[in-house]
Amino acid sequence: MGKRNVTGIAVLVFFLLLGVLITMRFTGLGSSFYNPVGGVLQRVLSPIEQPILQMGNTIRDNSRSFWNFTEVSRQNEELQKKVDQLTGDNLKLKTEILAGMRYNELDQGQFRSPTLEKYEKVGASVVNRNPTTWYRTLTLNRGSQDGVSVNDPVIGNLGLVGKIVSVTPTTSEVLLILDGEGQVSALVRGSTGNGTFGIVQGNYKRGSRLTSEGNLQMLFRREDNINVGDLVLTSGLGGVYPKDVPIGQVKEIQLDPSGLLKTAYIQPLIDFDSLEEAYIVKTVGGK
Amino acid sequence: MRYILIAVMFLLSLILPGTLFHFWSWSGIKPDLLMLLTIYIAMHHRLPSGIIWGLGAGLVEDLYLGRYIGMYTLTLAVVAALSFWLAERWYRENFLITTFIVLIVTAVGQVLVAFLSLGAGLQWSLTDISRLVIGVSLYNAILVPLTYPWIHQSFIRGWLKYWPRYER
Repeated sequence: MGKRNVTGIAVLVFFLLLGVLITMRFTGLGSSFYNPVGGVLQRVLSPIEQPILQMGNTIRDNSRSFWNFTEVSRQNEELQKKVDQLTGDNLKLKTEILAGMRYNELDQGQFRSPTLEKYEKVGASVVNRNPTTWYRTLTLNRGSQDGVSVNDPVIGNLGLVGKIVSVTPTTSEVLLILDGEGQVSALVRGSTGNGTFGIVQGNYKRGSRLTSEGNLQMLFRREDNINVGDLVLTSGLGGVYPKDVPIGQVKEIQLDPSGLLKTAYIQPLIDFDSLEEAYIVKTVGGK
Repeated sequence: MRYILIAVMFLLSLILPGTLFHFWSWSGIKPDLLMLLTIYIAMHHRLPSGIIWGLGAGLVEDLYLGRYIGMYTLTLAVVAALSFWLAERWYRENFLITTFIVLIVTAVGQVLVAFLSLGAGLQWSLTDISRLVIGVSLYNAILVPLTYPWIHQSFIRGWLKYWPRYER
């Protein structure tokens, strides 16, 4: 009787585990399945989450100088010197260049990409960060009611943020480009204007996935002409991200021990930790 | 009242890690509050009801996250069973022992999450997994002295007191 019980429990555990693994396979990142309970939970909780996050952002922004006083005063001194130098440069440049430019375009502060112009965009606020430590995701306050679809790219005012992986009627979840699960087909544009293609990925395998800066990387052949300071843009290949959206700047290049490859570490243009607003580009459901 | 309080605590456990603890995260590591709450509930219930609470909490978290349905359902059920088993053998009034139980059980729970994720095809390095498991377990353990005295009192003689069916 006891033996039969043990066998029964073992069979039950086996099928339970198998069932869970199968369910997980079909409901993984990027899959769309009917989840009314999740939708209701998101709809009910997001109005509570947004004020908490906003309050936290306000407290952090206002108290940052207290916690890092030495750092802030050092930065202040450095910036003061830079401001003096840049003011001089700026005055010179302004007379030569700015006369021919339209000020309103500059004031927008947003980069301009010809491929991005043709899509409809919707502005969204960050209402929640991922509650688990395992992924790098954000929740935005726009959902399918606003025309947002899975795989729509998300951009900040300086560059690429990530892509939508799940949508409820009122919210959507963004998988950041920092996460190892999300890869971006990219193009490194050097000072000579020549482009080198590659894949940008979160470098979680290096153990620095948990830091908020410098955690993107690209692999190149040794002979590829890549330099520190080169700009990394989306290539438009792969069908998810539009072309020419800035991703970051090459910060460091390291040669592979084999000598065949080199890794470029990329500093994202977006500060993901303090990101509060973003645009969702409707490439899937929009025009 | 008891069920409303537990439901509110469940919802707070879903909201707070992504909002409040985003600012108190330690190298990106946040506590797993729902796992902590499940451990507390299981330590103050009988085995079947503890496991049912664990299954319910896990299912709510899975549906809230909207992906890999079943991962937290199974994990929190195992966490509830293990918490009950340890609390039966070790003295749950001792906060130091409870802290140790939370550390161990959270570590087992997070390892299970990692194992199931690997089974679902995700690719995580061993360094990352160990860092996350140790980080989340320590964070949960640190929260025990701040949360357990209140919750334990409430389970023993407060609004969260559990009355088994035969005592009603």
